[in-house]
Amino acid sequence: MKFRKASALALATVMAASLMVGCGSKKEEAASSDAAAADGGKQTVTLWATGSENVNQIYETLIEEFNNNSQYADQYQVELKFMLSGTGTQALTDMLVAASKAGQKDTDYDVVDLSGDDLSKIVAQMGEEQLVKLDAAKIPNAAGVTAKSSIAADYVQPFRGTTVVLAYDSEAVANPPQTLADLEQWMKDNPGRFAYNQPGTGGAGDSFARTTVYNLIDDPTAITSADESWMEKWDPGFAKLAELNEYMYQSGGSHVYPAKNQGTLDLLNQGDIDMCPNWADMILSQRANGEIKDTIKITQLTDYPLTGSFQTLCIPTFGSHEDGAYAFIDFMLSKEAQTILVHDMAAIPLIDASGIDMTGYEDVADLDTSKFRIMSIGDLGTSFNERWDNEIATIG
Amino acid sequence: MSKKLKTNLAAYGMVLPAFMVVMLTVTYPIISAVIQSFKDEKTGSFTFSNYTYFFTEPAQLKNLLYTLMVVFLTVFIAIFVAYLLALYLRFVKSKIAKTIGTLYLLPRFVPAMCAVYAMITIIRDSGLIHRIGALFGLDITLGLMYHASGIIIMNLWFNIPFAAMMITAGLGAIPDSIIEGARDVGAGRWKTFTSMILPLSVKDVVIASTFVFMTNVGSFTTPYLMGGNAPKMLGIALFDQFNKYLAYNRSAALSVIMFLICSVSAGVYIYTNLKEQDWEK
Repeated sequence: MKFRKASALALATVMAASLMVGCGSKKEEAASSDAAAADGGKQTVTLWATGSENVNQIYETLIEEFNNNSQYADQYQVELKFMLSGTGTQALTDMLVAASKAGQKDTDYDVVDLSGDDLSKIVAQMGEEQLVKLDAAKIPNAAGVTAKSSIAADYVQPFRGTTVVLAYDSEAVANPPQTLADLEQWMKDNPGRFAYNQPGTGGAGDSFARTTVYNLIDDPTAITSADESWMEKWDPGFAKLAELNEYMYQSGGSHVYPAKNQGTLDLLNQGDIDMCPNWADMILSQRANGEIKDTIKITQLTDYPLTGSFQTLCIPTFGSHEDGAYAFIDFMLSKEAQTILVHDMAAIPLIDASGIDMTGYEDVADLDTSKFRIMSIGDLGTSFNERWDNEIATIG
Repeated sequence: MSKKLKTNLAAYGMVLPAFMVVMLTVTYPIISAVIQSFKDEKTGSFTFSNYTYFFTEPAQLKNLLYTLMVVFLTVFIAIFVAYLLALYLRFVKSKIAKTIGTLYLLPRFVPAMCAVYAMITIIRDSGLIHRIGALFGLDITLGLMYHASGIIIMNLWFNIPFAAMMITAGLGAIPDSIIEGARDVGAGRWKTFTSMILPLSVKDVVIASTFVFMTNVGSFTTPYLMGGNAPKMLGIALFDQFNKYLAYNRSAALSVIMFLICSVSAGVYIYTNLKEQDWEK
């Protein structure tokens, strides 16, 4: 009985202590934000973003620049809420939709980094009018930006681009292909020296397989449609992928499509292949870090470019600091912020590159964002991958 | 309250947290997966189609047979090599044997991901072996990557130390006196092995086999990074169904199939353990 009393007492103590700690930290937090407000009247703007660790790091750098050196430094202070992909990506879109559906007001979703599938998801689930329709006058730095999102174009501001390109080893390939016809001829002349990663395991392989199929559909709107009727038009494209199979990289007696973007890039770096589709930012930042050979270069097809995408920022109507959010978006299109994006993640700048020091990233400047082909086939992607796995992977 | 009841209640109280955790994280998911596996994806009505899919679709049937082939080969080779290693460690008393006895467990402390990438660097067609060959003017391309043989080699790397550890423990329990006794009555080395050592260690061999079997049926990292596109091991096929095709009912069915394959092995394990009790009577 003594033991029981003692343990009950211990448990009660722990619970009381944790309660106090919990309250204590909350109070402290409130106090600190009050202090920040009092300290020169700075407003705290909360930025929500998701992605891999390198995105987290770059936002830390950008926010430090914004809070200390930007023209808005004495008015606003940005705080980052970052959700690492694979652990919480689902949550950010779900949280926004939930907040919107519950009719919440004055939340701390002040400015949100959302693009691609996540953006189309929230637009589909809560409607684009739940985002603030952007006022160009409040984002002066965006004046020269021509990039437009393919979804909710008036409600989101693109701030960086990236695209899938052809990566090749310049020691092995003197004259990289310029057109789709060139590329096919090159594959046939050099069997076993090209590979794309298995669709569904990385965006580069997705882009290659999907553009190959959609290049053979005689309607430019197909590439941005999630309508199931387009599935009937996939046949010629899949026949083309099946035909290309015999020119792909081989190992262990069969043709191989490695898993993940990094899978093909490793093969290219090791000299197992001479060319593969891959993300421009991935190749260039790894090359700048010395992780892959200097001789690996990038090129883009002129007639049927591989697909690219824009990363965008938006302001939910149910956030609290609209002006602060505009200030941050404007900052992201400043020369300073774009320079950080180019240097730290080999992003394609969306403002005039002449003001940016592009040393080491000259290749990026050649990628013309106005020619970006943006693909969004929504849920059709799932059926596409399944069909690819059943028809192409099994050829061997 | 009687004293006995009190003790009983205390005992149940101590078991309860563990029991609840098992119910919540093991039993409940298994039951709900089984239920889901019999539901139609669209209508939610009862169907066998999620199961028949895996046995009639040629690609899926190949995945199943491929997995069984890779796993059985892994089990046979791993156990055979591990048994020889264990015999060596048990009966040879030398410095080399002692050193090997310490070193052979090292692979168990290397994180799986690092080990797989290390192996890839060595055996890939442009890897270490190829480069060493190139120094002597040889063009060695092993063709192990993206092929079942590469997966099996990697599995052996992981499983031989584990199996050897279990079998060594079993052999260590055989007293020297038994072996000396057999030798005293005139049994040769081979006879001693077949009629004393082997029967006394067969239980450990079976148990080690079942463990190696079960851990490899659902393996993911190795076949994901080293396997080809088709056929695939079931772990990858499950990942495809769940993450790529978002076919949750079929994923549930495949999980149940893998569970059943493993339970055959678990059955053997339990049977072997029970038999021992019988023999000890």
